[in-house]
Amino acid sequence: MRGWIQRVLFVFLVLFIVVPLLMPIIFSFSEVWMGILPRGFTLRWYEAIIKRPKNYSALMVSLTVAFGAVALDSIISIPAAYALNRLETKGGRLLRNFSQILPLIFPPVIVGTALVQAFSRPPLALTGSVFMVIIAHALIGFPFMFRNTLASFQTIDERTLSEAAASLGANLWQRLRYVIIPNVLPGIMVGALLVFAISIGEFEVTSMVAGFTAQTLPLQLFQQIRNDMRVASAISAFLVYVSILAFLAMTYLGGRLYGEARENR
Amino acid sequence: MQAIRERLRTEYLFLLPFLGFLLLFEIYPLINMAVRSFFDNTTNQFTWQNYYNVWSQPHFRAAIRNSLLFATACSAVGAVGGTFVGYIASRLSPRARSLLLSLYSLPLTLSGLVVAFAFIVLLGRNGVLNLLVRQIFGLPRNVYFNVYSWHGLVVVYSFYQIPLMTLTMAAVFLNLDRSLVEAARNLGANTWQVWRYVIIPVLAPGFLAGLNIQFAGMMGAFGTVLALVGGEKNLLSVQIYYHTSESTYNLPQAGALAVVLVILIALLLFVLNRLERMVRPGG
Repeated sequence: MRGWIQRVLFVFLVLFIVVPLLMPIIFSFSEVWMGILPRGFTLRWYEAIIKRPKNYSALMVSLTVAFGAVALDSIISIPAAYALNRLETKGGRLLRNFSQILPLIFPPVIVGTALVQAFSRPPLALTGSVFMVIIAHALIGFPFMFRNTLASFQTIDERTLSEAAASLGANLWQRLRYVIIPNVLPGIMVGALLVFAISIGEFEVTSMVAGFTAQTLPLQLFQQIRNDMRVASAISAFLVYVSILAFLAMTYLGGRLYGEARENR
Repeated sequence: MQAIRERLRTEYLFLLPFLGFLLLFEIYPLINMAVRSFFDNTTNQFTWQNYYNVWSQPHFRAAIRNSLLFATACSAVGAVGGTFVGYIASRLSPRARSLLLSLYSLPLTLSGLVVAFAFIVLLGRNGVLNLLVRQIFGLPRNVYFNVYSWHGLVVVYSFYQIPLMTLTMAAVFLNLDRSLVEAARNLGANTWQVWRYVIIPVLAPGFLAGLNIQFAGMMGAFGTVLALVGGEKNLLSVQIYYHTSESTYNLPQAGALAVVLVILIALLLFVLNRLERMVRPGG
């Protein structure tokens, strides 16, 4: 009897997540969905993403921004995580807590309005450009990148490994190439995937800083939800696929995924 | 000695990109925003007006009240639902648990607009679930669950909030040592005492940390709201958005509202932090 209840509950809890995720996917493959069940099968709405210039350019902008944000976050987070792992001082701990609490007190809406106010006048008139969107996404994403990278430096005990390698005669390049990078790469990849997935779907800050030239896919989606639900369904479904793929890749890389996700939010 | 100093210096160098980026693109914009919120939008004179407006204008006051109520409602649903799911997850077999928790990680990176789209299809006026319920029970056309109402929005946001809390609470329940409970029982503690002195102190820090994240996140949330109802629902975050990027463009006013929002969130984090210290063992 108890096992029976548990099984029903389990199915219900799975459906709670799966059913909403399936909505855009089913919608995107059907010709019409007016009643309870959808009718027909078509790929036309996906075609619309590629064939309509506005949607296609939005897709390209989104991919550029996502890769840009991952690159920028890597440049700032990886060296910092390496250094902070070695500097076990008060300042290091402070900075670690700081990166944890920052996104809590300053939610995206505040980051967005602050960026618009600071960078809409010369000399740094960045608002409305792709660079501003990349910077904004990097800001939202860096805690994820930073914490995952720092965690992997900590778990492999980078200092001891490096010292061992050095005592065996490895120079800095050899230590990086054969010891450090292979060991911390999975953690960095998990961080990068999180940043990428978040960036591809980000709407809030983007809509504040993007202007007309840096229209991303979610900004197009926002318009299409009002105008054309069918094109909106294809864009939504695409964003769902990106999230699912990112999480599958993370599961493959880490295994301790929900631990990370828990710490990260 | 010289060598140590040398090494320290190179390591601080590695921190430079990180610190430079944060200073230029996070700290400076935030300080700039706070300073400019004291100046008039057109005349650039020092003024308290932007803050006086937040206090005196009814729609700003309503926005603050709505934001607090909405964030509280969503956090409560998320906290109760997430604790429940987290508890169930902790009692499942490892394989079932890992499947469930993987699924519950998905909403974390999902765009708010996708969620809005999904719930329009599911629960819109002629949404699938509304049609189904109407057909099964033979109800008239004007009976439906309204996803565009306040309680509708709470249901939509529970798709974020419950999974978020689930991930925290599943870990907390898995860490709860059953032998502690048994030991307390053996020592003669009654049910109330076991809860007060054993279970709650173990669960509370994780629960309150989860609540922190829920509440802070909800105070700033507006993407899904905007996609579902536009500016129809008056929230503090929506007001900031409209004063930053729509026709009601007034950046100093947006700054003042943003400062108020930060203060509200910081106050709440402070109170929850205090609460956590109180329920901790020995507290």
